[in-house]
Parts: sequence; C-alpha cells; structure tokens
Amino acid sequence: MEDQQPAAVIHTTGLTKHYGKVQALVDLTLDVRPGEIFGFLGPNGSGKSTMIRTLLGFLHPTSGSASVLGLDIVDDSVEIRRRTGYLPGGIALYDSLSGADALDYLNDLQGTPAVRREELCERLQMPASVLRRKVRDYSRGMRQKIGVIQALQHDPVLAILDEPTEGLDPLMQQAFYSLMDDLRDQGRTTFLSSHVLPEVERICDRVAIIRSGHLMALQNVDDLLARRKRRVSLRWRGAAPELSGIPGLADVKTDGDRMTATLLGDVSGFVRAIASPSLVDLTIEPARLEEAFLEYYAGDDASEEVRG
Amino acid sequence: MNLRLLVQTLRWNRVRLLILMAASFGWGMLMPVIYVAFGDAFKGLVDSGVIPAELMSFGSGNFFTLSGALTLGLQHPMTIAFVGVFAVGSTVAAIAGERERGTLEVLLARPLSRRTIYLTVATAVTILISLVILALLAGQVAGVAIQGLSDELDLVQLPLVFVNGLLMWGAFAAFGLAASVTFDRHAPALGVTMAYLLVNYFLEILGSLWRDVDWTQQYSLFHHFQPGSILTGKVDLFDFGLLAVAIGAPVAFALIVFPRRDLAAPS
Repeated sequence: MEDQQPAAVIHTTGLTKHYGKVQALVDLTLDVRPGEIFGFLGPNGSGKSTMIRTLLGFLHPTSGSASVLGLDIVDDSVEIRRRTGYLPGGIALYDSLSGADALDYLNDLQGTPAVRREELCERLQMPASVLRRKVRDYSRGMRQKIGVIQALQHDPVLAILDEPTEGLDPLMQQAFYSLMDDLRDQGRTTFLSSHVLPEVERICDRVAIIRSGHLMALQNVDDLLARRKRRVSLRWRGAAPELSGIPGLADVKTDGDRMTATLLGDVSGFVRAIASPSLVDLTIEPARLEEAFLEYYAGDDASEEVRG
Repeated sequence: MNLRLLVQTLRWNRVRLLILMAASFGWGMLMPVIYVAFGDAFKGLVDSGVIPAELMSFGSGNFFTLSGALTLGLQHPMTIAFVGVFAVGSTVAAIAGERERGTLEVLLARPLSRRTIYLTVATAVTILISLVILALLAGQVAGVAIQGLSDELDLVQLPLVFVNGLLMWGAFAAFGLAASVTFDRHAPALGVTMAYLLVNYFLEILGSLWRDVDWTQQYSLFHHFQPGSILTGKVDLFDFGLLAVAIGAPVAFALIVFPRRDLAAPS
C-alpha cells in the first residue's frame, strides 16, 4: 500500500445527523482500525446507510465530526472517495453499458488503475463473455457482483460496502467471504454494513450495533460471542443429577434423563464439572451473534427485520 | 470539469443528437421555401385586410420577409421541441433522473465534486444545444441558397444569431439543471422546467397576437432572441445581457445549492 494509514482508518466523534425531527444518527463515536473488517449492524432504517453516506460526503453531519483515512469528511470528501471503494446498497448501474464498459467507465472516473479487476472477475465468476453483455440483461446477483468489482477493482485502502452479499447466491457469498479474508490479510480495511448476522459473524473482526441511530455496542466479535449464553443439552444414563452449583449454568430444566440449560462463560470448567460415566450425550450450541443482536433490539419492532 | 464524464454524457446522447440535427437541418431548409412559396400570398391577404397582420405573425417572426421567416423558424414550436429535448429533457434528467434511477450513487462515489459533475453536465448540454442550433442555422442557410435568396441574407450576422439563440436556450437549460439539482425526482423537476418554458412562450405569443398586451413580450426570454433584427443589422445588446443574467442566476443557484444538499439513499 502506498498510502500511510492513520491510527484509525475511520474516526467519528459525536457524529449526529438529523433529518428534520428524525434522528438518523445520534452522538456516534467509534474507530475503525487499520486492517480490520468492521461490521456495522442494524436493521433497515437504523442509520447504517446514513452513517456511510455521511462518511462519504453525500450527507452533511448535523453535529460532531469524523475523519476517514485521516481526512475530514466535510472538507476532504473528494480525496476520501479517491482512496476508498464504495458499494452502495441495492446498486444501480448504467443499463445501456456492458458490464466491461461500466467497469471501465467507473474506473476511468476513479482515476486509478484497475489492478484487481481480473482477479475479482475470476473469483466472482464474471468471465469476459458475461462482461460483454449489457447490464440491463444481468440478474440481480450479477449486478451485485459488478458492484463489488467496481468498488474493489482499484485496490482501495478502505472499502465501504453496504449490504455486500445482497442478491449473491450461497456459492458467491462464500467467494466474497474468502475475498474479504484475503483483503484483511493484505492489510486492507473494510467497513461493512449488514443485517445478515451469520455473515458478520463469519467475516468481521469487530462490530458496532446501532439502534435508531444510537450506538448500542462496539466489540470484538469473539468477545461478544464469549459473553453470550450458550444453550446446552445433556442426556444421562438414568436420572439426571443435580447440577445447580456449576458456575455460569442457569435455566436448568430436567425431564427424566434429559436436561437443558444455558451456560455463560468458561466451557472447560463446565465440561469438567459434568464429567461422569453416566453422561450419554452432550450438545453445546455455539453462541450466536443473532442472540446478542436481538437482545439489543428486545422490544423493538425493527428486530423482526433481522435475518439470521 | 471531467473529460471522461463529458465524453460519456455526449456518447449517451449521440443517436438522439444525430436525429435532432438532421430534423433541425430539414426544418431550417423549409422556412425559405415557405417564404418563397407563400410570402407574397400572405402579404396580399394582410394588405387586403381579410386577415389581421397579427395572425400572420408568430412571436417575433412572420412570412412577409426572409428574416421574419427565418425568425419564425427559430421560434416555432417545432424548434422548441427539437432544442427542448436537450435544453429541458437532458438537463432535468442529468441529476434528478440519475438520482431517481440510483446511478448518481456510483457517480458520486468517484472522486468528483458535485460542482465538477454539474459543470461537466452543463458543458455537455451546451455542446448538444449548440450543435442542434447550428444544424438549424445550416439548414436555413442551405434553404436560402437553394431558393436563390442569398442576396437577402447577411451571413456575417449569423454567428450573432447563433450566440443569441444559444444564450436563450442556455437560459432554459440552466433553469432545467437548477431544477434537476434541487429535486430528488425527475417528474417535479421536469414539471417546473416545462412550466417555466411554457410561461415564457405564452407571454411571447400572447403579446404578438394581442397588441394591447404586447408588453408581456418583454417578460419572455423568447422575445430577447431576435434573429430577425440581427439579420437586418440591428443588434440589441440588452437582449444578450438579459439572457446572460437569465443563465447566470440559475447557474449560481445550482453551484451553491447542489454541493450543500443532503443526498439521502434513493427510495
């Protein structure tokens, strides 16, 4: 990478955006570190796109400040866009152009060589024969792939991706995840907005959870998951023993030889505690980001929009 | 201004441009033909008092003189339709249309300031309008030559006619672009711009047909496009100045408003 990256690739301080009386972003303070994949989570209408659009200069902050790659989002938005790659949510492209012409055109406007295009087209299975077709003939997934390619083809230091896997089939989703892993390995930073929680869990290093414009949580994904309750199921030979003294174990329900409970914290201590010749089966379900997410949205109708 | 954006904008309009240039050229050729074929007959009807002179005029044009016939050709609704495709249609679609389609997103994601985008689109529209007006004037010159009327036409004045026409259509285009950067949707921008054009046209035609209210013409941009007067050697710099102001005001508005606008996600 040619560009010197600051300590925080994205830094916001008290960033606030109001549309009239509607508070789209409220006093948002966060950092996105170099080389990480940062997930920005929230259901539709929670302020994810507002955040992205404010960072890129499409919207003007009501108050607060922010910088991207050390550049002020109000004064230096053109330079910020020169160094970033952006995939808009539900991307619209020029229908009269072929896929290749659309990529050429957008890259010419970017003014930076499309050093990654070939690799991206290969990984996302967009061969030359497909790129020769008009965009108007593309399926939604193919348009999305063009969107991803146009955002990354000039190998930006920072990629800002709004719902990047929308419309991609499972195979292409996997290809995209692998691409994200490689970008991280190469030191690129990705700011990714999504409401597809398994996706965020799979690829993100840290997440911010936003609700009605307010930042609800900002954590490492691993830390977030480590602090979640896991559901455990046990089956015993004969009647289930009394387990109420085990640290972190709660909601214990016994039904003959079967037992269910929730476990918070150290798994190894729990396994040692239940070790017994009479234990026939043990299932510990992995902690899910979805549960953490839904907890933050408890009682909010918006949670219904979250996909697991 | 961004050259790549300019070239692509012109490329997207090339088929439309060729069709409109051909149509304008043909329409321009027709005016001298009508003047030669019917000019004396129309004048006879007016002189006899059968038809009032006002009904033989159209805006600032007429069929009694060559310059009047050429003026009529340049102010006729047919010309407005040809040039209006770019002066109204393309300008309104340039920002509001792209925004409605969602393609403005990918454009704004590039390292282009909004002023650059605006000035590039304005330049493209100016080129397109210029070419249509030039085709129209070329058609008129060809028609005059074919009819053997070259003695009656002072070709030296044609560049001034072109500049005067470009300023008038530029004023409508500037208004269209100002509307385009103001609205999120194509329809209201088009509605406002069409209303502006039609009101101007109505004031010009109303004053030409009803002499008691000919003062209304002063308030029409069409009245300040005077090819007939220019071709007869009478150039009123006030017309040029007023049209320049009519361009400058919406351009300044757009350059101030567009960069300051919040562009929320398209719905």
